Amino acid sequence: MALKISRKMLPWIFLAPMLMMIIFSWIAPVLLTVYLGFTDLSSKNFLDFIRNFFTENVHLTLENFEKIFFAKDPYVVEALTITAIYVVSVLSINAIFALVLSIAIAYFVRNEIVSMLLRVSWLIPRIMPGIIYALVWNWFIDPKYGLLNTLLKFAGVPEALLPESWLLSPPYSQILMIVVNGYVGASFGMIIYTAAIKSIPTDIINAALVDGASDFQIARHIIVPLLKWPMLFVISWQTLSLLSSYEYILMIWGSGGGGGYAGIARAAKVMVWSLYSYSKAFAAEEHLYGYASALSLILVIVGVVLIITYFKIFGFRRLMEPSRIEV
Amino acid sequence: MRKKLKMPSIGGKTIILNVVKYLLAIIIAVIPLIPVWSMLLWLAVQSFSGRVILGIIPSEVTFKNWRFLWSPIKMGLKEYPNIWPVTLNTLFLALGVTGLVVFVSTLGGYALSRMEFKGRMELMQFIIALHAFPSIILLIALFVILNNLGLYGKGYMTLVGIILIKAGLEIPMATWIIKGFFDAIPWDLEWAALVDGCTRWKAWRTVILPLVLPGIGAISIFSFLSGWSEFLLVFTYVEDEAYYTLPVLIYHMIGEFKFIDWGMLAALGLFFTIPTIIFFSTSQKLLLRIYVGGIKR
Amino acid sequence: MVKVILDNVSKFFGKVKAVIDLNLRIGDGEFVALLGPSGCGKTTTLLMVAGIYKPTKGKILFDDKDVTKLPPRDRNVGMVFQSYALYPHMSVYDNIAFPLRLKKVPRNEIDRKVKQVAKLLRIEELLHRKPSQLSGGQQQRVALGRALVKEPDVLLLDEPLSNLDAKLRVVMRAELKRLQKELKITTIYVTHDQVEAMSMADRIAVMNAGKLQQYAPPTELYNKPANLFVAGFIGAPPMNFIEGLIKEINGEYYFDSEYFKLKLVNEIGEIIASKTSETIMGFRPENAKIILEEKPNTIQGKVYVVEPLGKDIIVNIKIGDMIVKILTRPGAELTPGQNIWLQLDMKKIHFFEKQTGKAII
Repeated sequence: MALKISRKMLPWIFLAPMLMMIIFSWIAPVLLTVYLGFTDLSSKNFLDFIRNFFTENVHLTLENFEKIFFAKDPYVVEALTITAIYVVSVLSINAIFALVLSIAIAYFVRNEIVSMLLRVSWLIPRIMPGIIYALVWNWFIDPKYGLLNTLLKFAGVPEALLPESWLLSPPYSQILMIVVNGYVGASFGMIIYTAAIKSIPTDIINAALVDGASDFQIARHIIVPLLKWPMLFVISWQTLSLLSSYEYILMIWGSGGGGGYAGIARAAKVMVWSLYSYSKAFAAEEHLYGYASALSLILVIVGVVLIITYFKIFGFRRLMEPSRIEV
Repeated sequence: MRKKLKMPSIGGKTIILNVVKYLLAIIIAVIPLIPVWSMLLWLAVQSFSGRVILGIIPSEVTFKNWRFLWSPIKMGLKEYPNIWPVTLNTLFLALGVTGLVVFVSTLGGYALSRMEFKGRMELMQFIIALHAFPSIILLIALFVILNNLGLYGKGYMTLVGIILIKAGLEIPMATWIIKGFFDAIPWDLEWAALVDGCTRWKAWRTVILPLVLPGIGAISIFSFLSGWSEFLLVFTYVEDEAYYTLPVLIYHMIGEFKFIDWGMLAALGLFFTIPTIIFFSTSQKLLLRIYVGGIKR
Repeated sequence: MVKVILDNVSKFFGKVKAVIDLNLRIGDGEFVALLGPSGCGKTTTLLMVAGIYKPTKGKILFDDKDVTKLPPRDRNVGMVFQSYALYPHMSVYDNIAFPLRLKKVPRNEIDRKVKQVAKLLRIEELLHRKPSQLSGGQQQRVALGRALVKEPDVLLLDEPLSNLDAKLRVVMRAELKRLQKELKITTIYVTHDQVEAMSMADRIAVMNAGKLQQYAPPTELYNKPANLFVAGFIGAPPMNFIEGLIKEINGEYYFDSEYFKLKLVNEIGEIIASKTSETIMGFRPENAKIILEEKPNTIQGKVYVVEPLGKDIIVNIKIGDMIVKILTRPGAELTPGQNIWLQLDMKKIHFFEKQTGKAII
């Protein structure tokens, strides 16, 4: 009998450390965020709250959400606009540009070595540590020492069109934000797509060649239709990632601007929703933990709704096998 | 001798199509890489030279940019923390994350892959669904939790707290990856070991474990690099400069030195990137497999 | 060596019944094949004998010892898997030595036995290689070596030849049989290939949908199939089946199908008629003769298509809208559409009950 119980328990013994870590790093913070979103926690009553979770100095309130939904915080609308621009633009780079890129790399370029070299090169933005990525971009866009303006001039862009600072003058700063994140996203899309393209049976492509299709026709009529699921996967997965990603923006604009990221990101109009939430909590002179939680709670809700929708659309299995081809 | 077949002459249309094809490939796949390549080139060149022209053509070879390795970095009156303790902090963080992630996710991955229990499918779905909770959005709540546990502003204890959080954030993905490695071992092999006279435990140790060593290696490298380059958690939770890690140090230095000393920034950047370069050049195939198999932004 | 007894063994996976009430007695040193289509429960049965699966019901005995609850390591069985399941991280030598090391056999003893088995299987020069450097046939020998080295009481083979190419398969078939006879190990061999089973086994257990259909020596299986499934599964091309009624007219018995009437031998007809009137008649393609003019008690048909096989030909004949296959020697020219008559060897026809599929005669 004892043996039988232990056999049932064994998996849970193996799983226990993982479950504990997940509770500590994920579940507890999510629940706490929900709670904090309905409080007026700020630097004023923070210490009391740490000492005593049930302190009377922290009040339950709906004020945070009123600020968000009734635009009492005028910046909410702007953050929303910037986020929309950011997500839609980077997403199209991820999904569409990366698709064409992958077809070029994995199908048009027949030389294995060249193809491999290109794939590894396109992976670099993803592999590079974030802060180094921020460093090299800071150099690249530097008007005096960097290469960007020189390259653009070389390509025939008139000098009058070049900004004084890529970092600070919108809309150039926004273009930069999209491009910087676009490279990282294109890497992701490329990984998924090239794996999918490689798994298309060569017989199918050979059959199309025998039928007299050109490479373009094969790309258009064979490869793209077969990549329907990987594409949906990339789009859905990346939407979730993009909504919550602000690390690169924080690192590039924060370091390039000398550390005061909140002011600079605002001036450059690259303050996406998640960064806004972060800055409300941690930027100097702010420390509105309650309000910041409410802001991030909106993202959590959007994320949950999206993932439930994806599970419904894809089914679990398909979500797990993004590179599988469905004929 | 073989008779030569008379080939139909290649039509002009085919040639044009081929030209267009390669032109397109170059425009899409090669030209956008110019910034990436030039950035890497700059990092390498600039770190060993004084002035550089156009950012990539060196003028003189020097090791002056690497002076942070043996002398403190000064900016006016401000003295930055010595590079070596900061490197040690970074190493401490990275190794802590690695140890924890490997231990926890190997156990969990094995259970998910090869054990029968109630709620197995639901647990796997849940692990994937965690992606919906934007991890870095939870920073505020984690800040409160760290404070509550008394791990905030306590030097190395803060780093320990960060290790716990970082490992916790990486574990779902790492578990998923290592589960894939366990899945790839055919049941036949485990059965054969049992028939040959192994106990279940012995079969795990002598047959299964050696076969998932690549997987364990992969998640080790993966979580080491992820801990090594962790920025946000340290940036948010560590105030005392003595407990900075390299990314945060570099972050603060970019702003200060970008107008006067790109050389040192490049050298520092290269110094920091060494582990990444080493791991990627030695185990590229393994890591590619993870990036392809694992779903990681 | 031992004899193996499966006593009313069943195995269910949740709602799926993989094996149902299986009874088998395998004699000491006997070579028994488990034959059936994929998913019939034969591999499950083998894994239960190995001890990897525990039966849901029933007992498994080695000689008189109940091993039902014993783990695999306490059963002293050797097994070759379909995928060979060689440990990829060990050399061939280590693979073969592995079972002995687990038994804590002394080093020099291990070395002697590994070399002996390697010699028996002619893989001596492969011992230092890794499994990935071997061809399919070599891997197969190594897997066999690993199973044999521990001198098992029972040898279990799970489709060991199915991953080899056709030529090698024929060679290994003979070799396996020779080895088994030489070592006299009780052997259970799982296969879906009837030729393998017929050519190697002393007795064959035909399974379908988790149930044992017939357990008999190959010739008996062929000549006296117990039911429609066995009759149709054994033999290539398969037996021809025709539905019909048994009728008695003036003390004579006839098989009456939609398209023809056939007079039966009296004794046979009597036996059948005493059981049922709705029957299915079966005759093997080689047990009928094609004749070019009408004779009494023959079946008229038309040549549909002829498939030459070299030594023999298969003639497809259309009777009404049924097609039967006849195996015969090439003789007179047969052209599609031509009228011919079939003369059955009346002693070699089979009758099955239509309701149950059981053989009557």
